Amino acid sequence: MRGHGFLLANYVPGNSLIHRSPLALKFLLVFSCGLASFIIVDWRVSLAVLGGLAGLFLLAGAGLKRLWTAVRPLAAVLLVIGLFQWWQLGAPTAARIVLNILVCVVAASLLTATTPVQSLLDGVVKAATPFRRFGADPERFALTIGIMLRSIPYIAGTFADVRDSARARGLERNPRALILPVFITSVAFARQTGEALAARGLGDAED
Amino acid sequence: MPAVTFDQVTVAVERDHAPEPKVLLNEVNLRLEERRIGVIGANGSGKSTLLRLVNGLVQPTAGTVSVDGDDTVRAVRKVRRNVGFVFTDPLSQLVMPTGREDVELSLRRGVKNGAERRNKAEAALEGLGLQHLADQSIYELSGGERQLMALAAVLAVNPSVLVLDEPSTLLDLRNRELLRRTLSGLDQQIIMSTHDLDLALEMDRVLVIEQGEVSFDGGPAEAVAAYRALCMDGFQARGPVNQ
Repeated sequence: MRGHGFLLANYVPGNSLIHRSPLALKFLLVFSCGLASFIIVDWRVSLAVLGGLAGLFLLAGAGLKRLWTAVRPLAAVLLVIGLFQWWQLGAPTAARIVLNILVCVVAASLLTATTPVQSLLDGVVKAATPFRRFGADPERFALTIGIMLRSIPYIAGTFADVRDSARARGLERNPRALILPVFITSVAFARQTGEALAARGLGDAED
Repeated sequence: MPAVTFDQVTVAVERDHAPEPKVLLNEVNLRLEERRIGVIGANGSGKSTLLRLVNGLVQPTAGTVSVDGDDTVRAVRKVRRNVGFVFTDPLSQLVMPTGREDVELSLRRGVKNGAERRNKAEAALEGLGLQHLADQSIYELSGGERQLMALAAVLAVNPSVLVLDEPSTLLDLRNRELLRRTLSGLDQQIIMSTHDLDLALEMDRVLVIEQGEVSFDGGPAEAVAAYRALCMDGFQARGPVNQ
């Protein structure tokens, strides 16, 4: 299982300025980058923002290798998007779109690389607390986010494994041999995760 | 030691294309009070179902299961606080990217203060000598280290009963030994299914499960002998495989 192919960077222990920055500020940075991707119209600005974020990533001590690991799984998708947009709308627009996606990914990776998951979950609990009056359980919100962070790389890893198996059997061009096993494995993973959480009493309604 | 009681417990599941439900466990009566209890039996004999009943992961179709007097259906939340469960595959149990985060996840429900939670997680990891692996991705750990990490996450909330479903099945000899030594040092009551008969021989009491029933219940040496006889019986009846 290649579940270690994380799309988002794992937490890197450290004491940099970014590590010490308040969680709300880092959330705001990610949110702003997401918003900016709709507003920025010049690819040079996108490139500058991406360069700035990459600089912050390195400044936090997360390393170039980890940055590449966070971006690499998207390379093929970005290439397809870039080529399509180039064909449809021209090179500057294609560059802007690809760079803006990278800005979002690197910003999210910066958040996860400099914030322990438990602090992230605490932040989600805090943010969701006002909804308690409407019957929401903030801990469940946090648990959902935590499981999402774990599930994305697991499913990506499953896809890599299934693709290799299909290749070994000469079925790499058969979409059914790729999609069906990933689907079945993902459902099994969801069931196992649910069972593991239930066994630990996690996800139950609050006492 | 807490008492785990099975009173006339039957578990049956409906099947799509069969008129009769499949009986996984049939009218089991047990009172488990020993410190180390082993459960052995063939694949599909009902071992996992028996263990899952203790934590409330499976509910009896008939009869009752209780842990220290708490019914596993009516008081399932209390039961799960007292009964830790370790699965065969630690990857399906560890739901956070690193061991430390997973141990802290276990503590979230009971310990609201982040600093206190971190300290308790550190203590749980230290207890099993895992602090040097705490911040590594769970995918970078060996099978044995992962299994110990899953154990640390369960032990962090200090359960009184520890149920382990074939915890050594996916481990090599070295990691199996590591797990065996760790388990032997724990204070909790342990109920464990295993195919490792050497491990079963170290238990205080061993149950042999065969086709949903307890076919033998007693000392480890006698139980292992009974299980071996049970397995060999089938071969003698069938004769050599290549004929």
